[in-house]
Amino acid sequence: MNDHKFAFIICTNDDLLLEESLHYIDHLAVPDGYGTELLTIKDAPCMTGGYNEAMLASDAKYKIYMHQDVFILNRYILQDLLSVFSGDPQIGMIGLVGAEKVAADGVMWHTHRTGNIYTCPPLAPHPPLSDYRYSPREGWEYVAMIDGFFMATCQDLPWNTEKLDGWDYYDVYQSMRFLAEGYRIAVPCQRHPWCVHDDNGLLNLFHYDRYRQIFMQDYRQFLGKTWEEVMAQFSRCTKKPSHK
Amino acid sequence: MIIRETKRMQPPSELCQETAAYFQQLEQDRDAAQDAYKHILRTMDTALAANNYALLEELIPYIESGDGQLAFQYIGKTQRFLRMLHIIALENKYRLPSFCADCDNASDMWDKYMLTLFAFRRLIFQLSDRSTEEAVVYLRSRPLSHFAAYMLTQDGRLIPDRKLYENIAAVYAQEWNPADTQQFFALAGLS
Repeated sequence: MNDHKFAFIICTNDDLLLEESLHYIDHLAVPDGYGTELLTIKDAPCMTGGYNEAMLASDAKYKIYMHQDVFILNRYILQDLLSVFSGDPQIGMIGLVGAEKVAADGVMWHTHRTGNIYTCPPLAPHPPLSDYRYSPREGWEYVAMIDGFFMATCQDLPWNTEKLDGWDYYDVYQSMRFLAEGYRIAVPCQRHPWCVHDDNGLLNLFHYDRYRQIFMQDYRQFLGKTWEEVMAQFSRCTKKPSHK
Repeated sequence: MIIRETKRMQPPSELCQETAAYFQQLEQDRDAAQDAYKHILRTMDTALAANNYALLEELIPYIESGDGQLAFQYIGKTQRFLRMLHIIALENKYRLPSFCADCDNASDMWDKYMLTLFAFRRLIFQLSDRSTEEAVVYLRSRPLSHFAAYMLTQDGRLIPDRKLYENIAAVYAQEWNPADTQQFFALAGLS
């Protein structure tokens, strides 16, 4: 494992979006002594399958799983991720938007969310990019789950290909996986959003409910619980959820 | 990303019922929404191949108040296609060069829209001189009417500010006449 390396991992089916996303990645400041690599997966059978393949192929300690339609605005994001990871060694994963609780209906955006994202109208006027710097003093929040458009990890835990053979819920399951293994999940406080997520303004939810139903069965006991309650409950369980 | 705003105060059972009802409705509408979307794409392909702008414009009421509403409701790309159709209709009305003049099919038109949006974003974010220059070169290579430029700045994933409007007007200084530029700023609320 290379402790001084970041891997960007992107499943892609759209060259136009990917190319633009990479343009923003190309402009990131890489911390001194660190390297980066890019793994793109075309024609992945499913998100978890693609991510597992890339995860195994990379020796980078820090892996950033992101969507092809994400454009990173915070030029110093890599340093900022290191700051958050080093701020609490129990943090295993970082997102840019997350939820403190597991939603009662399993739908992440139906519970209070934390983080920030570039939206119109903005939460606050955005300064020029070059003027914005995150300070670790601004802190982060712990969450139960993060949105899959951006997931940065410092631990390799397999993605659940057994249950998830599509493009939904991989983020929720992976969040539960991290909590089950005793890792915390953090979302940095972002005065200004660290990225744009250009998802056409509307998620494709045609297959979403199928996985939601599976999730509701698998994690029934955690619905409506905070991240702390989830972790506490996992630590009391001897049998952890199966993940392949 | 958000299909509904946070409902913190809603009792969990009520939330679950409402969510179940939403997905039940989605399941019922799925085939019709996908069929409508396919119809939109097919019609755009046919119309663009034949430069048949009237046929393109017929899609506006189809999406806004006909069967295409379901595609608009569930398939995100439809919303951007509708914006393009409104641009084309406006340009047609005022006899301006059409946004879709160099597009042979829906896919071409989609790419043009997205690449223009990317270029506008680069003008906003100014990642580097090279990044901005590439955006300007792209925009000048595929000129837009002032209506198209303005309506693209209204895309929900873009936050236009005065500087962006000024930069766009500067990019098209050779293309637009003074009245176009004036109208562009007026539309942007900067007159």
